[in-house]
Amino acid sequence: MIDAERLKILTESAKYDVSCSSSGSARANKKGGVGNASPAGICHSFTPDGRCISLLKILLSNRCAYNCLYCPNRADADVPRACATPDEICQLTIAFYRRNYIEGLFLSSAVDGSPDATMERMLETVIRLRKVYNFNGYIHLKGIPRADRLLTSRAARYVDRMSYNVELPSEASLRLLAPQKSKESVLLPMKQLALEKRADAEDKGKRRRTFLPAGQTTQMIVGASPETDGRILRLSEAMYRKFSLKRVYYSSYVPVVRHALLPEKCTGLLREHRLYQADWLLRFYGFTAEEIAGEGENLPEDCDPKCAWALKNMHLFPVEINRAPLEMLLRVPGIGSLGAYRILQARRYAVLGFADLAKMRVVLKRAKHFITCDGKFYGSENPTTVRTMLRLEDGAAKYEQLSMFSSPEVSLSALTGQL
Amino acid sequence: MNVYVTDGTEACFYTAAFAAYADKDCVITSAKRFQLSVGAKVVRVETDAEKQERVLRKVRACDPRAPRDISLILRRGCDTREMTALGYLRLLVRTGAPVRARLSHPAVIEAEQEKRKVTLEAHRFTGFLRFMEGQNGVYYAPFAPDNDILELILPHFLRRLADQPFVIHDTARGLAGMYNGKECVIVQTAEKVDVPLAESEAYFCGLWKEYYRAVNIAQRPHEKQMKGYMPVRYWKFLPEKRGT
Repeated sequence: MIDAERLKILTESAKYDVSCSSSGSARANKKGGVGNASPAGICHSFTPDGRCISLLKILLSNRCAYNCLYCPNRADADVPRACATPDEICQLTIAFYRRNYIEGLFLSSAVDGSPDATMERMLETVIRLRKVYNFNGYIHLKGIPRADRLLTSRAARYVDRMSYNVELPSEASLRLLAPQKSKESVLLPMKQLALEKRADAEDKGKRRRTFLPAGQTTQMIVGASPETDGRILRLSEAMYRKFSLKRVYYSSYVPVVRHALLPEKCTGLLREHRLYQADWLLRFYGFTAEEIAGEGENLPEDCDPKCAWALKNMHLFPVEINRAPLEMLLRVPGIGSLGAYRILQARRYAVLGFADLAKMRVVLKRAKHFITCDGKFYGSENPTTVRTMLRLEDGAAKYEQLSMFSSPEVSLSALTGQL
Repeated sequence: MNVYVTDGTEACFYTAAFAAYADKDCVITSAKRFQLSVGAKVVRVETDAEKQERVLRKVRACDPRAPRDISLILRRGCDTREMTALGYLRLLVRTGAPVRARLSHPAVIEAEQEKRKVTLEAHRFTGFLRFMEGQNGVYYAPFAPDNDILELILPHFLRRLADQPFVIHDTARGLAGMYNGKECVIVQTAEKVDVPLAESEAYFCGLWKEYYRAVNIAQRPHEKQMKGYMPVRYWKFLPEKRGT
């Protein structure tokens, strides 16, 4: 059984992987087995950094042959090293799962030896967990770039989700900061898995879909390299389209390693927050990357991307809440997919006024400037006034008098990413 | 004005609703203590199978899914749950068709909110429930939810931990769901229950706490969000938060 010391080392090395979702798979429990997957996903705990714990996030080993500059486990780094055997990982997963601590396993690994050897050990762990320990819960497996494609596609038959991290949003940055990885080494296996999943879905003979039921995700570090938000969003959009990804995770750069090529300071979490907002617009609100930000542009800091888009396109507003089609409702700042759905339902039975919307808990702080309710307008028509008002409402107390000697503190909203 | 006092069960509520439907300003409650207004008359309601069945039949005729809505509302842990359910039932019968989607109607807004509170808590406890291994190999999970959700979460754990005998104990209501690996029953329990734990329990609990500490990124503190998702009142039974 694994001891606390090694668990600590292997988890601390794995914690910078953002993904912890356990949704998308409906794997059922088998007779005599333990566990199943819940399609909506379940969060089992939350850490003081506000993230959820859903899966047991752990590395098989943190002895790495690669030397990616931003990574705390890179070969040159002087950190405690440890590894675990497949059995230890399986036993820990089962023990935690039976106590309802976790929803499943998130298994990753440093490149210990060669990519193939690492992937083989990970595959062995997963197969053991499924076959010997009879585990039917959720498994998320991190793919190792440059591992044999047969290993990858075999693993995909046992796990619910796989992910390869793009890490840096351009090839030039990748070459500079992660010399052993290349664009192809990450994108090729993603493409291969996407193709195989599509082929599996088209195979009508099979009743149960067992090939990566929860699909693929990826992750990018934001702020370690000079790419703009517009560029990052275009990359995300392309990956969503080509590889049918479920999610792209953005992780704002935290300096765990010092190096001349890397920035000294944390990238504010606000940038990450804005990217996620834009990402949601891409996936659920029918926006294109082009509409949200130009190629060389960053997302605005003082208002959310949808608000920024609306302020640029004031000629489309205000829209009448009782008649506007869903696509237009979704483009009103402040109205989310749930709010739009509620409006669609409710207006079939009664004409909606401003007070009705407030009662239905549709957020009107921003929306009031862009809608009419039963012909009446409650906001301000002048875009300049609207812009000023939205900013004032958002962060009236953000500014302070700086003294000569105080270190410029990051405001709370830059830390938490919330406004 | 009449005050109908029920015993808190669904059947008793439907019996009370039989009389209360047309009784314009009446109150149905199952609270043990409540404030009587001047001129109020207390009516103790005894469950009546025939009246209950008549009301239920009407409700089902209007909307087959409505009994489930009402059942969820009646699981709320607040004293006004019967009135919310009555408001919903009145609107339903007056309309004669499903009213679920009339999201701008006050009675539906209230009903949907209360329902949401119950289903949200049930979903949360599929994650926040913590089992401890007992000496006899039976896993024990105490919790104290705001709403009566034991029956809502049991099917989830029966599917998931089918090979594992367990007891889920609602300490706030003195109810326990007991599963022996084959069948599950719900029983009333004593106020205080003593469960001897297996020797390995402390070890795994310690590993879990270590994991919880290790997976946190200290450079990005955001306690407010943690408490928003995982309210402090649930911490009592979470090993990783107990004593913090």
